[in-house]
Amino acid sequence: MTAQIREVVDVLKVPPSAAAILMREHKWAKERLFQAFFDNPEKVQEKCGVKARCSCGSGGDEKVAKTSSKNRATRSASKRKHCEICMDDDGFDPDEMISMPCGHEFCETCWYGFIHNALDKGPLCVRETCPQAGCNELVTEEEVARAAPDLLPKFETYQLRSFVETYGMTRWCPGPGCEQVAVARASGGAFADAGGVARCEKCSTSFCLKCGEEPHAPINCRELALWQEKCRNESETANWILANTKPCPKCSSRIEKNQGCNHMTCSSCKFEFCWICMGDWTQHGADTGGYYKCNKYDPNASNDNDQSDAAKAKRELDRYLHYYKRFHGHSQAQEFAKKSLKETEARMVALQEQNVDTVWTDVEFLKTANEQLVECRKVLKYTYAFAFYLQDADKRSRFEFHQEMLEKFTESLSELSEKPLHEMNRTEVVNQVSIVFIDCVIVLGG
Amino acid sequence: MSLKRINKELVDLGKDPPANCSAGPVGDDMFHWQATIMGPDESPYAGGVFFLDIHFPADYPFKPPKVHFTTRIYHCNINSNGGICLDILKDQWSPALTISKVLLSICSLLTDPNPDDPLVPDIAQLLKTDKARHDSTAREWTSKYAM
Repeated sequence: MTAQIREVVDVLKVPPSAAAILMREHKWAKERLFQAFFDNPEKVQEKCGVKARCSCGSGGDEKVAKTSSKNRATRSASKRKHCEICMDDDGFDPDEMISMPCGHEFCETCWYGFIHNALDKGPLCVRETCPQAGCNELVTEEEVARAAPDLLPKFETYQLRSFVETYGMTRWCPGPGCEQVAVARASGGAFADAGGVARCEKCSTSFCLKCGEEPHAPINCRELALWQEKCRNESETANWILANTKPCPKCSSRIEKNQGCNHMTCSSCKFEFCWICMGDWTQHGADTGGYYKCNKYDPNASNDNDQSDAAKAKRELDRYLHYYKRFHGHSQAQEFAKKSLKETEARMVALQEQNVDTVWTDVEFLKTANEQLVECRKVLKYTYAFAFYLQDADKRSRFEFHQEMLEKFTESLSELSEKPLHEMNRTEVVNQVSIVFIDCVIVLGG
Repeated sequence: MSLKRINKELVDLGKDPPANCSAGPVGDDMFHWQATIMGPDESPYAGGVFFLDIHFPADYPFKPPKVHFTTRIYHCNINSNGGICLDILKDQWSPALTISKVLLSICSLLTDPNPDDPLVPDIAQLLKTDKARHDSTAREWTSKYAM
């Protein structure tokens, strides 16, 4: 930020405080600012509220010297000054007044109150204008430093925040309570579309530089946002539907069973079926447990080839539910894996103590396995969001094949690493880790 | 600070009252004032006396005072609750402004309504399409509620 401001100061010959405002108002796009400035400097200065600041000398030091000499001059005339905010009858000594470059001056006490109040407004305080009515000259760190030095750090925090948020190349670390700033290396206008993953050095949170979410390959930022929007809109409904309904085995209408026995009749197609096994009721009798129980367990293939147009919306919902269910499942599994990652250390200690010959590096595989598990769950989670938007059937079937493999291996890794310690087989786990790692790469590449 | 400044404004209002306006505290509470505005002669509100309620926030003058009409008025920038749509009462407020200046601004709003930024779109629409009918309704309301 300082480097950028320095350059603007040199090129445009304006004070640093004005340079910072000019850059902010142009979203830190240097070239755009230079072009606009050279086309019509007056207009740009006016619009950004730095006109007086720019015309009253190029350096901050020079200006301070100027005001103090002016102060001396007025003091010798011993004229009391009037503050338009507190309107104190006694007036003030000139050196009790603080003036803006635009010439409007107010007493120190009022300035302090004004700045204190401006900071209470939050991030917007960086766009606070001169207290004089109708004057659009902006208040900068120079005034804050003179009128309220104790509030300067807070003001500067807001300035930095505004910089990080408007400048396209930086982003706050999204880690809770973390205040690190990530800066993209590429010199494009925005972050690269894919692969822009940063890892915070301080809290080791990984995030996508472009959207600030958790790294979400293979899905891109735009589709991720769509998916999240969809989930926000539908997840409550989706959860409820998943938890409380079953599709009619014949017409796949969603059915909620809120009372009565297991002998169900679909209200839309009149198909009679058993709520437990979802099978045709005509095949039920005393030998299957009758009305109250069903021991006929045969979840046979549901008839997928739905009939007509009316079922389209339903199918779309089912399609979404299909992906959402899995997305949600992996999301929960990821949280679980993260939680068990914290417990892994204890498990490692226990495992090491089982055998006197074991050293720490021998048990580290457990941690690696668990970390890989978190990673796999995350990738798997996003593969379902990705697949939801994958239109090309050919690509999808290939993608789904890899996805299936990854899922299979992830499940078995999960099973292996959660085994009781005495059954733990190191070689098996290590092998599984390398398999899923390769699979992850394939899924992300494909 | 706030109280001192409000007292000061009261004294100044007494010394140099603005044309067609008056204002002062309601009771002992210096943060609650009442004001009156006489309908400007060159407006359909002429002859009416309009009452306003003024509440000063604790951090006055750094925050704007809350001002609203208690008398009903037919005006496209003033709604049926007396709420006023005026920039200096919102984001354009400056601590160098005073109640006297605010009342004068409201007076000029009565003379020159701003139908392009209306609080009551129906009234603004009528003002733009049929000023005569708008003015006659405004006069009617003035004699009904403000005289």
